[in-house]
Amino acid sequence: MDTPNPDNHGEFFDQFLDDYYAECDEHLVSIRRALVTLEDAGTVDRALLDNLFRSFHTLKGISGMVGLAAAEQLAHHLESYLRELRDGTLTLNKPGFEALVAGVSLLEGVINARRNDQSIPSIDEIAVRLQAVSSEQTTSEVAKNDVAPMRWLVEFTPTAELAERGVNVNSVRARLQELGQLVQAKPVVKGAGEIAFEFIVATDADETAFATFEADGLTFKPAPVEFVPQPRDTQPVPTIAPASVVRVDLDRLDELMRIIGELVISRTRLEDQLTELKRTTPPATWRSLQETSQSMGRQLRDLRESVMRVRMVQIGEIFERMTFVVRDLARESGKKIIVQLSGGETEIDKFLVERMMDPLMHLVRNAVSHGLETVAEREAQGKRSEGVLSLSAMTVGERIVIKIADDGRGIDRNVVVERARARGISQENSEIDDEALLDLICTPGFSTRDEADRESGRGVGMDVVKKATEELGGRVSLVTKVGEGTTFTIELPLTLAIAEALIVSVNGQRFAVPQSAVREVLEVESASTSVLENNEIISYRGKVLPLLRLARVFEMNYQRETSFHVLVLGEETNAVGLAVDRILGQREIVVRAIKDPLAQSKGIAGATELGDQRVVLILDTSALRQLAITSKH
Amino acid sequence: MNNILVVDDSPTMRRMVITSLGALRSVKSTQAGSGLEAIERLAIEPVDLMVLDLNMPDMHGMEVIDFVRKHQAYRDIPIVVLTTKGEESSRREALAKGANRYLTKPFDPRQLADVVSSLLKAN
Amino acid sequence: MEPFILFELAGTTYGVRSRFVQQIEMIEDAASVPNAHPAVEGVVLVRGQVIPALNLRTRFGFERIERDLRSRLVVINTGNRVVGLVVDTAREFLKIPAESIEPPPEALTGLSGHYLEGIATIGERMILILNLDAVLDLEYEVEPQISQMMTDGR
Repeated sequence: MDTPNPDNHGEFFDQFLDDYYAECDEHLVSIRRALVTLEDAGTVDRALLDNLFRSFHTLKGISGMVGLAAAEQLAHHLESYLRELRDGTLTLNKPGFEALVAGVSLLEGVINARRNDQSIPSIDEIAVRLQAVSSEQTTSEVAKNDVAPMRWLVEFTPTAELAERGVNVNSVRARLQELGQLVQAKPVVKGAGEIAFEFIVATDADETAFATFEADGLTFKPAPVEFVPQPRDTQPVPTIAPASVVRVDLDRLDELMRIIGELVISRTRLEDQLTELKRTTPPATWRSLQETSQSMGRQLRDLRESVMRVRMVQIGEIFERMTFVVRDLARESGKKIIVQLSGGETEIDKFLVERMMDPLMHLVRNAVSHGLETVAEREAQGKRSEGVLSLSAMTVGERIVIKIADDGRGIDRNVVVERARARGISQENSEIDDEALLDLICTPGFSTRDEADRESGRGVGMDVVKKATEELGGRVSLVTKVGEGTTFTIELPLTLAIAEALIVSVNGQRFAVPQSAVREVLEVESASTSVLENNEIISYRGKVLPLLRLARVFEMNYQRETSFHVLVLGEETNAVGLAVDRILGQREIVVRAIKDPLAQSKGIAGATELGDQRVVLILDTSALRQLAITSKH
Repeated sequence: MNNILVVDDSPTMRRMVITSLGALRSVKSTQAGSGLEAIERLAIEPVDLMVLDLNMPDMHGMEVIDFVRKHQAYRDIPIVVLTTKGEESSRREALAKGANRYLTKPFDPRQLADVVSSLLKAN
Repeated sequence: MEPFILFELAGTTYGVRSRFVQQIEMIEDAASVPNAHPAVEGVVLVRGQVIPALNLRTRFGFERIERDLRSRLVVINTGNRVVGLVVDTAREFLKIPAESIEPPPEALTGLSGHYLEGIATIGERMILILNLDAVLDLEYEVEPQISQMMTDGR
């Protein structure tokens, strides 16, 4: 049981909990990465061990500060073990490595338990394990870092002006590390008492590599041959260079985005007013006003894109975390699993990452625990012994499509239908399609197995996956075949905030339709529509295009016009034509979510405002297409 | 206005120290994430006191104390060392090298503020 | 002593704790939301947020009236939800001592009178204190008779 430390002045340090968790996350990611490298590589790299040692040391310190004693003690044990490994008094062997991995997982678990207000797990067992491996005494050879051929002595004298230009000891160090191996970094005092830094870098590069140095006040020359080794604890180890990175609160970015949104609206209003002025303004003046407005529009677009880029992270970061989880699960269950990644460079808004991390993780855990079979089962089926889990991401238009696929058991419809029936959830028969199958699985209260394993405690189930995705304006879909595997596809809008939209009028009400969903716009005469199986259709590119009338789906009154417009939505194979009375124009809109359930409705993706303070609803074209299918009266 | 240099490789820890000193009057703080950065700060701006962590990646806190105390211009800057429990053996060493005070983490924010305040007054 | 915002609906005065009231606005036309509950007039934009406008007359079973210059949108923020309430008029701000608030009569709570937290009597005046969670939860149907009972008594 974790009892509060009476010395810890708990309340004072509680305000730092967010920073604490953020810093823990960063350290844990780099620890995990290091462990994966250790596991894969044959030799042991001392620099890596030192980094690990340092991470545990810091985690110990800050955990102590916030009063999380279990984490502090566990980090302490891990730190001690790493100290021995780093100093060479112990070799890394299999039980040791496994104890390390178990220790790190538990450390993660303890921190998360505190984060989620759950009871802290006991660390006693792991502590004993770590102490046991620490007490084995074996001599070893620590892999020595290769010394590169030529060494240079680089001297840097810091000044306020240089610092302002971004030339400081950290950036210089980073540059040198790019050139080669940094062997020494120390401060010295020069003749008149000024402080300078001396770096010794070992590199194959020749003098030209140092060309830019002089401009930044750096001097270089070949290093003197003798090199005095410094005492062990202070041996400069090439650490991962701190890049020029700023940590930004997502709230601040949200605020920036909100302000940009307001700017977009103001500019649109300006355009409207300019149009009105055209009649009464001399043409030359008007034209120059128009140009100014347009260049503002371009600048706003650039600004918006820049801020969006700040919020974007590569989805590879999530994939990496998933890989760690998969390795843990695979190790525990004895299954062999290969993870195939693609599209890791695809960028996704950080907000989406935060919301979707848990749901995506749930899908991955499911795939590993329930989808993929054991080596024996697979071989019995004639499959390769390693199960394949593939994680992929790509952008398609204004959406990001993430797929989590396994080549495992697949989902058995019969089992699902039976269970749904047993739970009183549904009376469907086994002929249901993939979409209906997904619906069943995502019904709250449904689960495909009695959950005694880890996933259950986290409060994420398939229903949460579906809900989280839909709340973000996305969609989940599923393809599965028994014996072959399952693929979950999650589509999410790339940008939450601003989109191009067509503004249309239907039955007197204005709606916005996202441009990205519209393939084509047609003008249609009433007379040219026909009826096929109770659906209105028109002819489109030699094929039949079913029409979708909002009046039917939204239960509004409508009158038929003699001619109207049709927005073609969807792909070739399942296109649908949305009938609208008039097209009012194309605009950039700021998309706002409708958060309150009272105002949420299927077929509505959100709302926006066009500069006149009146709300215009944004249509959810994929939901409308589904509604159209189900509401054939 | 006194300029306090807070040196620790953990950003969370630095924030905690700075917040602890928040109530002191006529005090502002500067941060450094490593021994080298700390010395660079000394070279570039006037520093009236240092709060220093010992165990840091590139340059150990002890070395920083050594360097600072050997330099004419910085010899008298008060240094408060902060370090984790279990390293009290280095206490004597740090004080011998010229640190003025030594506190262990987790530290009492009020105690830190008091120590800093009295060291600033004395100078 | 707690501050309350008071508003009128069909001749009856209702009160909500002012800490739940984010702002009071003149009403703009709400964009009608398809397939929504009949009491939801639509959505409006308030402080950059799109929120539902709930017509309290419809919610409580009174007949709807034409909007006029006195109609107001009382924007409620319960911490979890932000919803606008369309009311006849809202101008008053009153501090009500806790002792003046009595629980609603048994007869009422028996019949889904849960939308009332209590009834405050200040001199001759009766103010119905709303239980916002119940009012905003459309699972709770508010019986028209109750609202009628309250106004009949005056």
